Order: sequence, then structure tokens, then C-alpha cells
Amino acid sequence: MRALDWSILWQYRDALLSGLLTTLWVSAVGVVTSTAAGVLVGCLGALPLRLARRFAGTYTGFLRNLPMIVKLFFLYFVLGLPAFPAALLALMLHQSAYIADVVSAGIRSVSRGQIDAALSLGLKWQQVFRLILLPQVLRIVMPPLTTQYVAVVKNSSVASLIAIPDLTYETQGINVETFRGFEAATAATALYVVIALAVIGGMSALASRLGTR
Amino acid sequence: MIPALRSDRAQDALWYVVVAAAVVLGAYWVPRLEWTAVAPSWFFLLTALGRSWFLAVISIAFGALAAAPLALLRVYGPPGLRHATIALIEAVRATPELMLIFWVYFTMPLISGSQVTAWNAALGALSIIAAAYLAEVVRAGLNSVPPGQLEAARALGLSSTQAFGLVVLPQALRNMLPALVAQFVALFKTTSLVSAIGVMDFFRAVSVTKNAVFAPYALYLILAAGYFVSCAVISRVVRWLDPRYQLLE
Repeated sequence: MRALDWSILWQYRDALLSGLLTTLWVSAVGVVTSTAAGVLVGCLGALPLRLARRFAGTYTGFLRNLPMIVKLFFLYFVLGLPAFPAALLALMLHQSAYIADVVSAGIRSVSRGQIDAALSLGLKWQQVFRLILLPQVLRIVMPPLTTQYVAVVKNSSVASLIAIPDLTYETQGINVETFRGFEAATAATALYVVIALAVIGGMSALASRLGTR
Repeated sequence: MIPALRSDRAQDALWYVVVAAAVVLGAYWVPRLEWTAVAPSWFFLLTALGRSWFLAVISIAFGALAAAPLALLRVYGPPGLRHATIALIEAVRATPELMLIFWVYFTMPLISGSQVTAWNAALGALSIIAAAYLAEVVRAGLNSVPPGQLEAARALGLSSTQAFGLVVLPQALRNMLPALVAQFVALFKTTSLVSAIGVMDFFRAVSVTKNAVFAPYALYLILAAGYFVSCAVISRVVRWLDPRYQLLE
């Protein structure tokens, strides 16, 4: 075992920082877009409408069974999208399928009788949604959604394969230039763990805010 | 909603029209892809798909072997060891899979001094990933059996090994099955990432073929079909093993 040289991290702080920022903003965009698409498809999957359910089932079934890298390379090499749009779109397509399943399972877990009861008591559809459906669905959906958001951060690293300069990409660069891959990878792994912990902490704070409301 | 589409039957009819249109389009489009260019590589591609399967199966087996003690430590271990196990499992689960593969391939040799081949690095990294995720599956399975079961078995005079092996474990295994299969599907998709360190898995084989012959659409169709069918097969097997799975889903 050779001596470790942690000063390499300070020397390459700019690369690591810019990689971290790229990972953060790519993940943030991924979280927003995949949530939007996932909630939309998930709601379709929970509608009492066969056609909508079939569409949602096809969407999630197709996208969940393909690795992220396949979608990414298809968008980048075959369709010829630029790197960043390809990465963001692949991330959205990949994770929205999982989020859609989480959302539609959450909605379906609220029994139909509750909605019927609320409607027969004279509540309007908007009220049923806001007062009956949303609080219960949110409580069920929050923990698996947290897992999905951590997965967005992790999957954003795949984008480094099409030269998106994220944390993984910069780590590879440091390894190639200095052979100090161990130090760089340790730092990057620690940063990924910190991001994941921040996501988990943020989501549980959000969940308790929503729960006490 | 369009009134004509109110009934389930009308919606089904529309759906089948859409599916039929897709099939007709596919039947027109697929034979016109660049198959003659791809045909000589069929054996190469099939072998690579087999290699991906082999990677997934071997690493899930290694992972399962490591996952059992990890989960037991996490559930029953002494406090110090338990916290260390939790930290280890959570660190692996929070790290991108690609990063872990790079870790094992590029950085382990630097500290241990000995080279690893890309194949061994891929197997090692995938096994670590499988172990961390399966440990959680096993833990959830063990926790899903009510503690009263173990207490009742002990009260009936079974030794703690018997109570665990004959009462808790069979129930836990049954509860674990769906999550186990979900992990296997996830791991099969993760094998595509080992192409980044040069292992000739299915993804890399398709990429290499794509660089040799110009047939992007045919090759991407093969790529998508290879992964899709493999994952669908794994998911089907569990329905066949456990018909109740659909109810759990």
C-alpha cells in the first residue's frame, strides 16, 4: 500500500466543486421533471379509466425494464441530442416511471369508499382531493419518494459516461491526471453520501411539516 | 371525456386499435432495418447477453451469501458492530453504482498493490452492490415476521436455532421473495454499467458492433429487446413461483 496524499483534494478543489455543482443541478432538475412526469402518469394509472391505466402501465413497464444507460445512449448517440438535454431527458424518463408507480400505488391505497362517502356527504371534487385524498396519499408516498430522489442523485452519475462534467466525471479526471484515484473517489463518495443524507433529511423535514399541518 | 368512450369495452377497443396500429407499423418498419449488416454479429451479441446474465446471477449469489450475515448483524448484532454494519450498508446504498465500479477497478489496486482484471472488478462491485441491497431485503423480511412467532416457538420448547430456522426463516423468505426479485431486476440493469470499465457485457457488445457496422436502429432495437425481455422474464418467474405476488403488488 502506498502513502496517501490527501492534499490532492485541495489541489483539485475547483474540479471537485464544479463537479459537485453539476451533480447538484442535474439532480435538482431531474427531481423536478421526474416528479412532474411521474405524478402525471401516476394519476393516470390510478384513474377509474381503463385506457389511462393501460397507458400508464405501458409507460412504466417499458421504461422500468431498460437500464438508464440504454436510454441515455439512445438519446445522445442515435437521436443526436446535445449532452445535457440527453442526460436530463434520460434521467426524467428513467425515474418518472418509478415515481409514477409510487404515486399510483399511493392513490390506490386510499379506499374508493372514502371518496364515495365524501362525495355523498356533499363535498366537491376539489375538496375531496384536497381534504381526503392528498393528506393520505402524501403520507404514504413520502418514504418511497425519498428513495427515488436519492436514486436520481445516484443515476445522475451515469451521465458522466457522455462527458457531463459531474462529480464522477471529475473524479475520473483526477485519477487519470494524478493516479490519486483513491483519494478522489473517497472524497466523491463522501460527497454523494452527504447529498443523499441531505435529501433524506430534507424529505423527512418536509414530511413532518406536511404531517403536522 | 368523450361520451362514446365511457364504457370499458369502448376503451378496450380503442386500446386494441392503438396496439394493432403499433404492430402494423412495427411489421413495416422492423424488416426494413439494417439487419444484413447486423446478422454476422448475432453470436457475439448473444454471448454478450449471456455474459450479462452470468454476471447478474453470480453476483446476486455472492451478494446473498454476504447479505445474510450483514442483515443478522444489523438486526441482532451487538451495538458497536450493528452501527458499523448500518454505516457500511447505507454508504454503499447512497453511492452511485458507477462510482462503486470505478472504486473497485481503479482505486483498490492502488491501495492493495495488486491488479484486478475488469471482469473480477465487475463481479466484485456488483456483489458489493447486491450485498448491501439484499441485506436490507433480508432485514425487512426478518422484521416482517411478528416477534410473537419466535416467542411462541421458544415457549413450545424449540431451541433458538430451531425457532429461527423452522419458524421465522421460512416465513421471512416467503415475504422477501418479491423484493428479492425486484433487486435481481435492478442488478441486471446495473450490469450495463460495467461496460464503462471495458467488460464485454451486452451493452458494450452492442456499442462495439455499432462502431463496426452502421446499423444504429437495428442495434438499439436489439439492445432494448435484450434488456426488456430479460427483466420481464425475471419478473414473470416470480409470478410463477408465487401466484400471490400480484396481490402484494
